[in-house]
Amino acid sequence: MNSNAQKTSAPQPGLPGKVRTSNKSMVEILEDLGLVVILVIGSILLGLASPVFFSRINIENLLFTSTIIAVVSIGEAFVIMVAGIDLSVGAVLALSSVMCVGLAVNQGLPVWLAALIAIGLGALVGLINGLAVTRLKIPALIATLAMMSIARGLAFIYSGGRNIAPIPDIYDNIQAARLFGIPVIILLTIVVAIIAHFVLSSTRFGREIYATGGNPIAATLSGIRADRVIITAYVISGIAAALGGLMITARLEAGAATAGFGMELTVISAAVIGGVSLFGGEGKIGSVLLGVLLLGLVQNAINLLNVPPNYDYVVSGLVIGLAAAVDVFRRNIAEAGARRRSAQVKKEQAGNAPKAAKSH
Amino acid sequence: MNDESHMPSNAAGGHGASVEPVLIAKGISKFFPGVIALDNVDFEIRPGEVNALLGENGAGKSTLIKIMSGFYKPDRGEIRVNGKHLDADPAAAHRAGVATIHQEAHLVPSMTVAENIMLGHWPSSRFGVIAKKEQTQRALEVLARVAPELSPSTLARRLSPADGQLVEIARALSENSRVLIMDEPTTSLSSREIDRLFEIVDSLKSKGLGIVFVSHWLEEVFRIADRITVLRDSKFIGTRPAAELDHAKVIQMMVGRDVEEVTTSGREPGKVVLEVKNLTHIGVLQNISFNIRAGEIVTLAGLVGAGRSEVANCIFGIDPYEEGEVRLNGKVVAPNDPTAAIQAGIGLLPEDRRRQALVAQLSVGTNTTLAVLDLIAPRWMILKDLESKIIREAQSSLAIKMASPAVKISTLSGGNQQKVVLARWLARKPSLLILDEPTKGVDIGAKAEISEIIVRLVAQGTAILLISSELPEVLGLSDRVLVMRSGRIVGEISRGSLSQELIMRYATTG
Repeated sequence: MNSNAQKTSAPQPGLPGKVRTSNKSMVEILEDLGLVVILVIGSILLGLASPVFFSRINIENLLFTSTIIAVVSIGEAFVIMVAGIDLSVGAVLALSSVMCVGLAVNQGLPVWLAALIAIGLGALVGLINGLAVTRLKIPALIATLAMMSIARGLAFIYSGGRNIAPIPDIYDNIQAARLFGIPVIILLTIVVAIIAHFVLSSTRFGREIYATGGNPIAATLSGIRADRVIITAYVISGIAAALGGLMITARLEAGAATAGFGMELTVISAAVIGGVSLFGGEGKIGSVLLGVLLLGLVQNAINLLNVPPNYDYVVSGLVIGLAAAVDVFRRNIAEAGARRRSAQVKKEQAGNAPKAAKSH
Repeated sequence: MNDESHMPSNAAGGHGASVEPVLIAKGISKFFPGVIALDNVDFEIRPGEVNALLGENGAGKSTLIKIMSGFYKPDRGEIRVNGKHLDADPAAAHRAGVATIHQEAHLVPSMTVAENIMLGHWPSSRFGVIAKKEQTQRALEVLARVAPELSPSTLARRLSPADGQLVEIARALSENSRVLIMDEPTTSLSSREIDRLFEIVDSLKSKGLGIVFVSHWLEEVFRIADRITVLRDSKFIGTRPAAELDHAKVIQMMVGRDVEEVTTSGREPGKVVLEVKNLTHIGVLQNISFNIRAGEIVTLAGLVGAGRSEVANCIFGIDPYEEGEVRLNGKVVAPNDPTAAIQAGIGLLPEDRRRQALVAQLSVGTNTTLAVLDLIAPRWMILKDLESKIIREAQSSLAIKMASPAVKISTLSGGNQQKVVLARWLARKPSLLILDEPTKGVDIGAKAEISEIIVRLVAQGTAILLISSELPEVLGLSDRVLVMRSGRIVGEISRGSLSQELIMRYATTG
């Protein structure tokens, strides 16, 4: 009887009738728009409250101060996308800051070599993080927490706890440089973001990141060397943090072992607000940048509206919490929509199979 | 030994017959999306009897157990305990007297026996401080019934599997328990431990409990059961006194008679593609040796836990092995490295689609090309045109039904998801494709389609290692069947002499 059911139901394996593409992309657009809408409304409100907001100086300042967080967040996003976490970025940034100045000023290395070594150190820290997580199977939270302490400690040891200044002139020059009237630092950050976006969306490594983060077992069974992908993600995060170290050195005009204190939490917030799933496998660089901008906007608002400095942390925390809640809410709606649509598709396709089965 | 355990059983069964059943499942049907899990099934359990629930994998046993213990709500029919309707609520079922021991152990390893027994109901003072003395006392009372020799202060992780089982029974039973459901309680036990378990089952029976016993091992079933109930293809086949049955009759009930032969005749196997020699993974597989030729389907048959998936895992490099070697097209395949196995020309459709094959966050298209990233990105950039061509070809040749390749894989039906995983390998044109339960969790229509795809593949010269618990599928597709039991190959059956009865005989007793 079963055999009959099989025969009658064996469907005509023709092509699917119609190919629908529009619905899904609508959802995606809405998903991305969520943050944009929050940003726009926030900006308008802030603009109404403080006329200074829409001045060119203020906007440029907002973007400018967001650049360091943006670069470090992009690196962090790679790690979170492979379902990891990197708490050492703030410390790596500080280590890079003292090294790039110290090696040039104290040890007399060429400025470019000192900067390169600082970046290399960031990569090395990332490599150790990655090995600890994949080979030693230490939970990422603990491994990078330990590394955070070590890297920060090394920065203090190397600098003796004092800011190293003055810094080589070139940092000042880059800091002040403009191209087409736009600060070079901002352009540089945009370039970093474009490269990161391209890597994730169009390269084999990007695919491997998403697959490994989404389901490491399935990735491994498809021939992806998941451990290597994870290690590389940590290396990228280390390099990005070290690059952030060079940038912060220019801004502080010193190699500072105290730089980037607590920054790991800011960049993780930015990534998560930007839709990078802490469970891995999901996230877009563009959205991460929106998350960074939202945090920058909040900081800007605190400054413009003269919020007493002591309230600073509480306000930031509330906004992060609120943005995350809105994000979860928005995603649930999107998911419910997807489920409804797939149920529809199934109903349309239901055809003879279930009927044949039931008739027996 | 058989006789000894039969005598009291029959007596108790005879006694039970005159008594009202303590649990009745009447006309139970349960539907899952695309699957009928139970179709109008009747089942009853009398006080003081062991009713063994049998059936092939996927016959509906687990679903029925979950319904009787209140985890699932039946779509049709009802459960009555002591004549009263039972709601679909595990806590209500437990209160009504239905105690269930699930297949996997559910003890918290870091807690003591007493804490596990009282899990969630720890006696405590007003301020939430656990009353240790009372806890120990109550645990002792509970243990007294099934395992008086166990200490309440032992950590659960130090218990043997058998003792763990007993602690679970102790925990499941309460003062007013009337029914004890045991889902494959013996799988992790040694034969001596099974003897002990059966003594306890006998004593519980003599206290008037009705016991539902699920097992794949017919020997065990005939030792302990008073009556035997068989499910097949989600349907109720019958409940008969154990004394009226024997192995052959039970197997016949389990596999049925009318089987369609989806013949794959007229194929000439080519050269040897896969050679497995003396593969041994200590404690799991012993001395596994076999060959597969081009265009040949070799099936590993056997019960769940016989070691079939483990063979696949060793060949594909997921699991390590201590001895033996695997050769593909004459070349040794590096052990313990799936990437190397894939590059050598092996593909694997794993058993657990959701856990091992799909990346839920990614689209259908991305999932389709997951195993060919090296082909679509020869350097490091993905050639999007080539990728969409591969996706289009897969979609049309496998008839994958989807709104668009951009939708998430999770929106597809089980059958279409499985086709996507198949497509992932077809694009590589592997010499050997390992299919582990390829039609598990897919509806009947897709099943037939997947079988057709398999036939098409072998016609093109692919060697196929099939693992399947669906006997009709095994009979229809296999050129040869290797039957496994306890990590060994216990029998080889060529296509000519293939029958369900023969496979089941090897698998359960061979």
